[in-house]
Amino acid sequence: MQGQQQVPIIKIRNCLLVSVQTELHDRLALDLQETLIARVRSEGTRGVILDVSTVEVIDSYITRILNDIGKSVRLLGADCYMVGIRPAVAMTLIEMGVELDSVSTALNLDAALARLDLRA
Amino acid sequence: MKTVESEIAAILSGSISAITQRSIFRRLGGIASLPVQRLSPRDRQAVQAEIESSIRLFAPARSGELISSCARVLGDEPSGRDAAAAPPGPELDRARKLPIEGERDIAAARLEAWSEAVRLGLSKFASVKVATAVSELARNIVFYAGKGSIDLRTVRDGKGTRLEIVAADEGPGIDPAKVEAIFAGSFKSERGLGKGLVAVQKLVDDFHLDTRPGRGTRVSCVFKHDRSGQ
Repeated sequence: MQGQQQVPIIKIRNCLLVSVQTELHDRLALDLQETLIARVRSEGTRGVILDVSTVEVIDSYITRILNDIGKSVRLLGADCYMVGIRPAVAMTLIEMGVELDSVSTALNLDAALARLDLRA
Repeated sequence: MKTVESEIAAILSGSISAITQRSIFRRLGGIASLPVQRLSPRDRQAVQAEIESSIRLFAPARSGELISSCARVLGDEPSGRDAAAAPPGPELDRARKLPIEGERDIAAARLEAWSEAVRLGLSKFASVKVATAVSELARNIVFYAGKGSIDLRTVRDGKGTRLEIVAADEGPGIDPAKVEAIFAGSFKSERGLGKGLVAVQKLVDDFHLDTRPGRGTRVSCVFKHDRSGQ
């Protein structure tokens, strides 16, 4: 059953929106990263937006996955935004001292799309 | 057959996602698949307390309504009426052991820790910290030792109210030089062991690491209500 699981990716304008909902275990995270890179390349995507608004806990492992995705997307010349981080999650990340420095952040989807548009 | 799971699921659907519901029923263990009328008063009370804290956590907006619907379903049998009507109040000085044997146990442990924090009366922020710390500890067990366990204990005594967490495994253990490097910030592992331990240490009020190569690893930490609750 785990093999069938996939993180939904939605195309919005020239961007890919990823709704991070399920538990990102190792395999799923790698699959997601590979799929995103392939689609950014083949579709000439301008930006990838990771929506984490339903994620209640982000630990250092998930942080690393998000950073890795951000890095690989940037290597392909696209921007990577993370949106919708919950206040308690943000405060916890600060307290833990882990950095989410390979993704840009925006308050919500609208804001991320606006910034990606401005860059056009 | 009207099982606990089918009855409660009918009430919760629409308010709590199917994934979250599954974790809730998993926490109940075998009780979830029993027919409602076969519950002993004690089971009934346990189910009621469990469902109630989950509802408060995941569907706070409609909690009153959902909790009373569940109480009605569970308490319809005359034998269980008293138990279901008893005020659920937070149980203190309770301990539970969570086996950690694979990736799916990480999410379960996180949820368990979160509800334990909420039950203890910790703030939203503090509860997320507890869940995050337990997530780190559970991941380390799965990644490096394969299996182990996490003990959660809520304590209230002269020294205040607190949540004690002990993560233990019989895995390879960590070399003393490596431990030093980890806390000095100069060690980086493939999968983030160093970061995880440092993160836990920063999140908790009290942290103790006991590890030796070949002898497993034991991390004990404490969240105090007074400080974290602010």
